[in-house]
Amino acid sequence: MRDRRQRTTIAIGWLALLLLWEVAGRLHWVADGALPSLSGVLRQLVEDWGDYPPHIWATVRTSLIGFLVGNAVAVLCGFLMASWRPVGRLLSGINVTLFAMPPIALTPILVIAFDGDAPRIVLAALATYYPTMVATVLGLTRIDPRLLDVVRLYGGGRWAALRWVRLRHALPTLLAGLRVAAPNAVLGSLLAEFGSGSGAGLGHYLIGSLGRGDPERLWGIGLVATAISALFYVAILLVARCWVGAQAPTQESLGSQGDAARGAGTQWLITLVAVVLPLLAWWAAVWGLEQAGVSGFVLRTPVDLAAELFSSTRPESLASIIGGALLETLPWCLAGMALGLGFALLLAILGTLSPVLERVLMPLSLLSQSMPLVALTPLIVLIFGRDGATILAITISVTFFPAYVTLAQGMALVPEATQDCVRALGGSRLKQIRLVSLPWSLPYLCAAARLVAPRAFLGVMIAEWLATGTGIGNLLNVARGSLDYGLVWAVVVAAVLVSVLLYLMVTVIEQRVLKRFAMTPVQ
Amino acid sequence: MTVGDLRIEDVSRRFDVDGRALLALDSVSLEAPAGSFIALIGPSGCGKSTLLRMLAGLDQPSEGTIRIGGLSPRTLQQRGALGIAFQDASLLPWRSVEANVRFPFDVIGRMSEADRSRVQEMIELVGLGGFEQALPGQLSGGMRQRVAIARALVSEPQLLLLDEPFGALDQILRRSMNRELQKLWLKRPVTTVMVTHSVDEAIFLADKVVVMTGRPGRIGRVIDVPFERERPLSLLNSAECRQLEAEILQLMFDHENDDA
Repeated sequence: MRDRRQRTTIAIGWLALLLLWEVAGRLHWVADGALPSLSGVLRQLVEDWGDYPPHIWATVRTSLIGFLVGNAVAVLCGFLMASWRPVGRLLSGINVTLFAMPPIALTPILVIAFDGDAPRIVLAALATYYPTMVATVLGLTRIDPRLLDVVRLYGGGRWAALRWVRLRHALPTLLAGLRVAAPNAVLGSLLAEFGSGSGAGLGHYLIGSLGRGDPERLWGIGLVATAISALFYVAILLVARCWVGAQAPTQESLGSQGDAARGAGTQWLITLVAVVLPLLAWWAAVWGLEQAGVSGFVLRTPVDLAAELFSSTRPESLASIIGGALLETLPWCLAGMALGLGFALLLAILGTLSPVLERVLMPLSLLSQSMPLVALTPLIVLIFGRDGATILAITISVTFFPAYVTLAQGMALVPEATQDCVRALGGSRLKQIRLVSLPWSLPYLCAAARLVAPRAFLGVMIAEWLATGTGIGNLLNVARGSLDYGLVWAVVVAAVLVSVLLYLMVTVIEQRVLKRFAMTPVQ
Repeated sequence: MTVGDLRIEDVSRRFDVDGRALLALDSVSLEAPAGSFIALIGPSGCGKSTLLRMLAGLDQPSEGTIRIGGLSPRTLQQRGALGIAFQDASLLPWRSVEANVRFPFDVIGRMSEADRSRVQEMIELVGLGGFEQALPGQLSGGMRQRVAIARALVSEPQLLLLDEPFGALDQILRRSMNRELQKLWLKRPVTTVMVTHSVDEAIFLADKVVVMTGRPGRIGRVIDVPFERERPLSLLNSAECRQLEAEILQLMFDHENDDA
């Protein structure tokens, strides 16, 4: 009974949203028709349908291959990390880089180095890696130790533990990781298309249509891209349902994986290797490309780039160009992130006050997880024009949903008894939120900040590139256009580095804050 | 001394904590004839779980030896001659009741026709006939614990280890499970070592109650429980039982005061 009423409420909420969209479109409420009506979008979609098949095929093909390749590597790495702890520590530099790096930043180099489908496949694979790797490690290691004891008690060794317990235990967690990875693959493929000239693919189609200012078509492409992404997501969800049923994936954090007592010297060595490995990977990639016949003229090793960074052969040194661009970009990034988190927190609070709001917002936010949201930013450019407002709007839009999901989950976990403490003393709903729900959700707020920091940077870069022509995002575009390969490499490395530092900074703040209150981080 | 004796001789266990050696168990010795039921009781941190893990061959003594019928726990492991049940059942959530009870044979790698019928027999014995295909997630806490006990007994172990098997159950359910466990055990009295926090559970089930003390873990006293089998639950209300319970509690509190 209650279930049905809930569903009715959600349905009404959704209908209201769609209706609002239709009316807003019809009456040109938003930016002079930049938000077209839903019916208009669908009409245009039907009209253009003949153009779609090659684009859809290209996007599906490249993201699917990238998805498979990325997952194969991720599962292998996860397996190694789970089997031998130090591997995890050694690879942590590469892992953090792959998680925090803005995928768009890599496209210029990928486009220089490869042709055909390869850049899209590589980017899709890179975007897939992190969630699957984490899920593999969690699934294989976060096991009730007594299950493993039982295996040992009957004389079973490592192989028996793997065969009878670990592999099967990892399955639901791995499938949950794949579900997150699937929309990432589509996102990677779309973003690679943004940066790689012309060709087939929904990303190309989107960028190509942006200049023509045809809102209905742009929104149609966005809908199709979302549908593909959602199909990937749902397909894996269905596989998971059939295969592992209702068995819940592991949810504990990876952070508490303490290292056994090891000498301080060894610890330092491991950290050093972890930092150096991404550099070595860069070097190895450049070397490999040279062997494959890519001209050394367009490639830069870490040493080449370091030399070029401060070389005086240019009118303005690379270091100062990049520094200036970053100074332009970073304030927007921080402001957008703060606003996105703020909105998410506000709505999470309102959600606890008004269950109806939450029932409408939550499915919408979960849906957005399967949306290549960053790739849909051209739609926002259309609405907000080409100034700072667009940067903020895009950054908020890509940070809000993941932050909201994390925060709402945190608030839903506040123990009923703790809330009753305030209620029993006659405290109001607001007091309850202020004294209990908010402090309780602190780890979730931190987790949300950690999650969205790299996304915010990516959002700003895309906005700068597509809309405002400022900052590091624009520099990426300019460098490519002017065939200044030194600048291209410098921008790419700077973007990746800043994104990683941003992430690490949030992590450090998180640790400080949570330590102060004796709380543990959430994954 | 007959074959089948449980012998623990001068067993110590040191752990390395932040580079410092921490003595968890200090030369513990204990002997019991085959087919006896031993309860280990004491404050948390007294090393009773460490001792249990060493009996299971999951952990090795730093010094001293453990023999069951003249064999080391590791040898018993290789022969599939140990059984263990933990506090919160620790079942494999993706396996049915039947598959969970069968699990030891899967790990050992062989299952005879007799073993197969024993799986079914154990399920019936713990009162779960008809639930063979149910998943652990669909069972109550008490039922899950029955599955865990059936799993521990299915390979007809030479030594049964119980780590607070009913610790997560409420008092009423715990008592009735105690009674059922006694019935099962009387059918085939296997040497059993049980860690518990409940004094009346220890008295009701055990032949010997081993009261342990903490920091470092030592055996304070071994008390022989004089009551005849099969013991009725009403025994717990008798004056003799109350007297024994008070004595054990007093022992535990005395040591606690020594600590302070």
